[in-house]
Amino acid sequence: MNTDDLIRSLSRDVPRVSRSAMGRGIGLGIVGGGLITALLVAMVLGIRPDLHTAMHGFSFWMKWTYTASLGIGAIVAVIRLSRPTSSGLRGLWWLIVPVLLLAGIGISELAATPSREWLGMWLGASWKVCPWLVLTLAVPIFIGLQWSFRRLAPTRLREAGAAAGLAAGAWAATIYCLHCPEVSAIFVLTWYSLGILLAATAGAFLGPRLLRW
Amino acid sequence: MQASEAQLRHWMTAGLDGDAASHEALLRALVPLLGVFYRRRMRDAQDDVEDLVQETLISVHGKRATYDRDRPFTAWLYAIARYRLIDHFRRRRLSVPIEDVETILIVEGFENAASARMDVDALLSTLSPKQARAIRDTHIDGLSISDAAAGAGIGASDVKVSVHRGLKALAARIRGERT
Repeated sequence: MNTDDLIRSLSRDVPRVSRSAMGRGIGLGIVGGGLITALLVAMVLGIRPDLHTAMHGFSFWMKWTYTASLGIGAIVAVIRLSRPTSSGLRGLWWLIVPVLLLAGIGISELAATPSREWLGMWLGASWKVCPWLVLTLAVPIFIGLQWSFRRLAPTRLREAGAAAGLAAGAWAATIYCLHCPEVSAIFVLTWYSLGILLAATAGAFLGPRLLRW
Repeated sequence: MQASEAQLRHWMTAGLDGDAASHEALLRALVPLLGVFYRRRMRDAQDDVEDLVQETLISVHGKRATYDRDRPFTAWLYAIARYRLIDHFRRRRLSVPIEDVETILIVEGFENAASARMDVDALLSTLSPKQARAIRDTHIDGLSISDAAAGAGIGASDVKVSVHRGLKALAARIRGERT
């Protein structure tokens, strides 16, 4: 095809693009995938029966604040890495803040508990499945983000994949909180973070294959 | 005469607002710019230049939502052009010769700097005439190193060294002015 014809045909289709179009596309992908994840949690795992009471307690909000703040940070990273001029993952060091805060809570909880109960606090009742459930629940959100990436232009594919995996993992963990009855901070710090990290690693691995354009 | 950053940016933002005529004007203006960009990087495969230009136009069109209106347009454009070039090499499973990588990297710094919409002529006039001419020939007019060397009556390596030193001096100067 000659270049003139190409330009003419491209110029036939010039829809208006608002400033917020990119953010909206990413939001839509996450919310769309998140709905599927929420449906899976509700139908397959089941919402914890004491959710209403738990929402008046500290540990539920501690978990949500932790996973949601990681999720927000990851979305910021996804938005940055979606532009071709992106300078990479620098500037995300503050994501360490929620991790450190949760570690602080974890240490104070340990200090207030007799040491023979520490192992039980750390492993809870679900340490074997928690990371894998978070990873599995991240899949719909990751697919949703793939859909968003159609119109985006990442040039650092591995980093963009990792950020998408991190976002998917963190939001999957946030939704998983509706099911998971664990209460201790070191449980969340270890097993939730491990699940989220697994999702980010999978994303980094898949990024160069899936995000090419 | 190549379109200026301000003009390209104006067309781009008008296109984003839905003005098809501006969008078309933008794509047309990009053809020579991208031609120069790819020609000087594809010494052995000039036939691929037109394909690359077309692929880049399609990317510019398809990915236009990722342009941030508050940022320089040329930086965004060349980021896409570089990605298309790397993807092209990857698909052909070619390795990039090391001196080309160096050109890509140096030019990258230069183009980002240029996108600060500083007057290129004013900048070049701060260099020695030999360096200014070498940069103008190879990086603005898109001549090959050997053509530039023949035109200036100097050796090819002399041109390369002049370009390298000149760009480095410019980059240092621009960084100094920005901070």
